[in-house]
Amino acid sequence: MTYRDRIAAALEEGCRFAGLYANDNVVRTVLVATDGSLRLESAAVENGSVATIVDLTPAAAWDEREAADLYGVRFDGHEPLRPLVIHDLELTSWTVRVRGDDAYQVAVGPIHAGVIESGHFRFHVVGDKILHLDARLFYKHRGLERAAEGQTLADGRLYMQRACAACAVSNSLAYAHACEEILGLHPSAELARVRTVLLELERAWNHLNDIAAVCAGAGLAAGNTFFAALTERARRLNERFAGHRFLFNSVQLGGSALTLDAAAIATTREELASIATDSKRGWRELLFNSSFQDRLPDIGVVSADDARALGAVGPAARASGLADDARSRSTRLAYNGFEPVAPRRVVGDVQARLEQRAVELLQTFALLDDLLDRPINPAEAVTARETTAVGLGLVESPRGATLCAVEHAHHRVTRVHLRTGSYANWPVVAHAAAGNFLPDFPLINKSFELCYACADR
Amino acid sequence: MLTLLRNLRRLRTEIGLPAPRLGRSLAIRHVDAGSCNGCEHELTLASSPYEDVQRYGFGIVASPRHADVLLVTGTVTTRMREPLLAAYNAMPEPRRVVALGDCALARGVLAAVDEIVGPVEALLPVDLRIPGCPPSPPTITQALLELHDAGKRRTSERMPGAGLEPA
Repeated sequence: MTYRDRIAAALEEGCRFAGLYANDNVVRTVLVATDGSLRLESAAVENGSVATIVDLTPAAAWDEREAADLYGVRFDGHEPLRPLVIHDLELTSWTVRVRGDDAYQVAVGPIHAGVIESGHFRFHVVGDKILHLDARLFYKHRGLERAAEGQTLADGRLYMQRACAACAVSNSLAYAHACEEILGLHPSAELARVRTVLLELERAWNHLNDIAAVCAGAGLAAGNTFFAALTERARRLNERFAGHRFLFNSVQLGGSALTLDAAAIATTREELASIATDSKRGWRELLFNSSFQDRLPDIGVVSADDARALGAVGPAARASGLADDARSRSTRLAYNGFEPVAPRRVVGDVQARLEQRAVELLQTFALLDDLLDRPINPAEAVTARETTAVGLGLVESPRGATLCAVEHAHHRVTRVHLRTGSYANWPVVAHAAAGNFLPDFPLINKSFELCYACADR
Repeated sequence: MLTLLRNLRRLRTEIGLPAPRLGRSLAIRHVDAGSCNGCEHELTLASSPYEDVQRYGFGIVASPRHADVLLVTGTVTTRMREPLLAAYNAMPEPRRVVALGDCALARGVLAAVDEIVGPVEALLPVDLRIPGCPPSPPTITQALLELHDAGKRRTSERMPGAGLEPA
């Protein structure tokens, strides 16, 4: 069976595309099976090219474009193979041609009007209506994956952590899982519990931040300030819990040194309960604020079919009706019996994506309360299986499934690839914008609240 | 809505931030030159009720055209070099440059050498360095206050009477 046939068969079986990357003369595609296990399909690069899979799964579009730009691989059948990471090119080479009466372009960025990361949006519009959006990111491309090559497996983690502060735990953990697979290690129950707590603490502050962001996008200053205050409290709690407001360095390879006695755990639970109560109160106010609610429905709609085809992940995918959450099938974390929650109207618009955060937030607080039922002690991963040449890790970040693939030689990184929830969802943002009015774009964008740093690396 | 506002008023009372000396103002233009998004998140929370940097008259403005301060985060990537210089060149004099966070100061930068230009000072004259990974909201506020007050002292030395406090 050819590489294309194997991918087609896997997709037919219900596998989901999770990422694609190039290495020396090989292209590797990662798929998630319906039971949550990860499958790796490789194709040798012959005469500089590999057959495309973008027609089988459009979710691979950005991955193939990136591999073409950074590793010089051609993908036969991917036409036009537009540049993604390479800048300094003619506008026509990276934008879609839009023709017709009165069609024109609006260029925004890379510098935006607020405290926002750098990235460029090129809107093709008629009047106020968006016909098409070309997002050009990678202004923040720091070559982190390449920089990590040659590092020890332990040091490689720092590069993945640096990819993004908002997803530092998720990215570090996806990397740690990949390395532990290489080393044949499996986390002990205590290690799985500590890491699950850290991942949920990261989700808590991010979801609070994202609700504040939608309020800002709709011009509701009171809601924005209210949830910004809760975000601040959650970050202070992080600092008390693990010594850093963004939980930097709390995830380590092969173990955890974190120690919290009964008193510290009690304080943490108390503060979490208080933040949860206030979040509920704030959310209730938002629900009953009709001028705010009127801004949210029926804009930036992503149908379930489109979400699936484009490979949407995380809250954005769940708000469109895809009940996909890496937490429900995680064998390395303490999510026993986890089931994703859904908003009242699962219609993939701004309102659904906002409410998805709100219901997940309450679930996160409940999970944390369950997990923090006893003191936290240092824990280690234990030897459980054969070592492997390629390690894969998949973690549900606040923005969705984040994949890390690590290849090594003598325990030094030879190739590492991080495909974050933000990376998966950026093409979905562009799709969601089409057909809407330009002034609605900031709100649509905020309803995804993706990281640029995570995507650019 | 009223409940939200009442809640915020209660929060303000509880936190009890000291009322600042009046007569200060800084218009800040932020540029992300290649950060990990940590400095942005902390800069955003410098405006939360717990820090409220606006009480000093400091605000983020939408354009470099009316900014006093260019606040740069991240190590400068090759792709952000030109936009950063364009923002700086668009600013009126006098202007100040602030490098926010360890990456902007070239401390412990993780990146492929050929993808980055270097720290902010490799391109622009830096007036204030705020270390931290990332610097916390109070650290950011305090550093900006020092920059503002030092500038005011310089002005009053040059032009007697110009830096006087309002009565």
